[in-house]
Amino acid sequence: MIFDFELIADSIPKMLMGIGLTFQLLFLSAILGLILAVLLLLMRISGKWYLSWPAQVHIYIFRGTPILVQIFIIYYGLPQFEFIRDSIFWPILREPFGCAILALTLNTGAYVSEILRGGVLGVDRGVLEAGAALGLSVRQKFIYLTVPIAARLSLPAYSNDFISLMKATSLASTITLVDMTGIARTIVSQTFAPYEIFISLAIIYMILTWVFQKTFGRIEKYLSRYVKPEGLA
Amino acid sequence: MEAVTGWWDDYFWGSVIVLQVFVCSLILMVLFGLIGAAAKLSNNRFAQKLAAGYTVAFRGTPEILVILLLYFGSAITLTAIAQVFDPEVKFVDLSPFWSGTLAIGLIVGSYATETFRGAFLGVKPGSIEAARALGMSNFQTFVYVRIPEMWRLALPSFGNHMLSLIKDTALISIIGLNETLFVAKQAIGTTGKPFTMYIVVGCVYLGFSTVITLTVMWLEKYGNKHMESAR
Repeated sequence: MIFDFELIADSIPKMLMGIGLTFQLLFLSAILGLILAVLLLLMRISGKWYLSWPAQVHIYIFRGTPILVQIFIIYYGLPQFEFIRDSIFWPILREPFGCAILALTLNTGAYVSEILRGGVLGVDRGVLEAGAALGLSVRQKFIYLTVPIAARLSLPAYSNDFISLMKATSLASTITLVDMTGIARTIVSQTFAPYEIFISLAIIYMILTWVFQKTFGRIEKYLSRYVKPEGLA
Repeated sequence: MEAVTGWWDDYFWGSVIVLQVFVCSLILMVLFGLIGAAAKLSNNRFAQKLAAGYTVAFRGTPEILVILLLYFGSAITLTAIAQVFDPEVKFVDLSPFWSGTLAIGLIVGSYATETFRGAFLGVKPGSIEAARALGMSNFQTFVYVRIPEMWRLALPSFGNHMLSLIKDTALISIIGLNETLFVAKQAIGTTGKPFTMYIVVGCVYLGFSTVITLTVMWLEKYGNKHMESAR
């Protein structure tokens, strides 16, 4: 097995042209997904069944099915209905980009909401009791006590989910989007050199993973700056 | 829904394939996970480095890329090897079933490596000292003390890994494995009802994940039943 290094040097710039799309998919769906996750979380902890049930059903469905099936249902499936083609959302749902964002957002929202819930449940009761003793209202306790602590607690799991989301963006190539994976698949179908192309792309993704892990590590360190390091406590 | 009528048997056989991939990749995943964890916990520097490389590579790469690489890569390598023995051979490949199963086994195995490593480290030193005091051999300690204590710790994450496995089987349809998603594509070709057909696929996977989740919940209860009174 001889590696064709010329081909690698040739294709890496071509594949990197797709990194913009990968980033767009990643950051847009990460931000929208986080908003959705917070909404779902608030619905779940609201204590009202008509809010908490829909949130739980959403989480159950989107965590229980493969993201690829969700992408296909949204991109290929929804146009089956007349009323969707006539609706105001059609300009978004007609485009593969809009469908990919929608699918990734709905999916990551379900996962992140569970992560955030874990963080909220992890907040020490003593802190909330102290807040109550200080006469804070429910809303104040949530904003000033629960949110900062829950954010810190859920960050490690969130960083893992962010990386899963980055890996999931590569599935956009299955609905004709030309992100990095899409470009790589085109090159492979032309040159039939899967080792060279796919391994170099894998290394690009690994570098991205590493960068994101380091960045989240920094944020984690910053958020825990006042937490006593273990062993000294 | 009447559009699905003629396709139920195809969906059924597609689900059987999903199940086959799941079982085979589950075995591979446990195998790779245990080997990886053993390498990470060993004193051998080289084994540690190798296992670290394995987890970094397979956790940082999109699943679809690993599947494509294994499928097309194996085709090239196997064809080259076959041509050495018989120049007449035009094309040999590893079937989508096995390259896909191997791919998701390797990927989820890299996550399982970390789970098993953490679980083995979580075994209380006191339990092992007690086993030593009773005169158990290393092997006996492993089978009767480490494994029973470790699998309870690993179970919650292990359940998630099983869910990843079942959901990743959908990706193997990309390289042409005739599982449910592939069946749906064919059905859409004749009926022109994409939503209906894909929803059926979604329901199949939802059913599988529900069964796995319930099984893991039951196992957790079963595994911790001797702890009930302590809680």
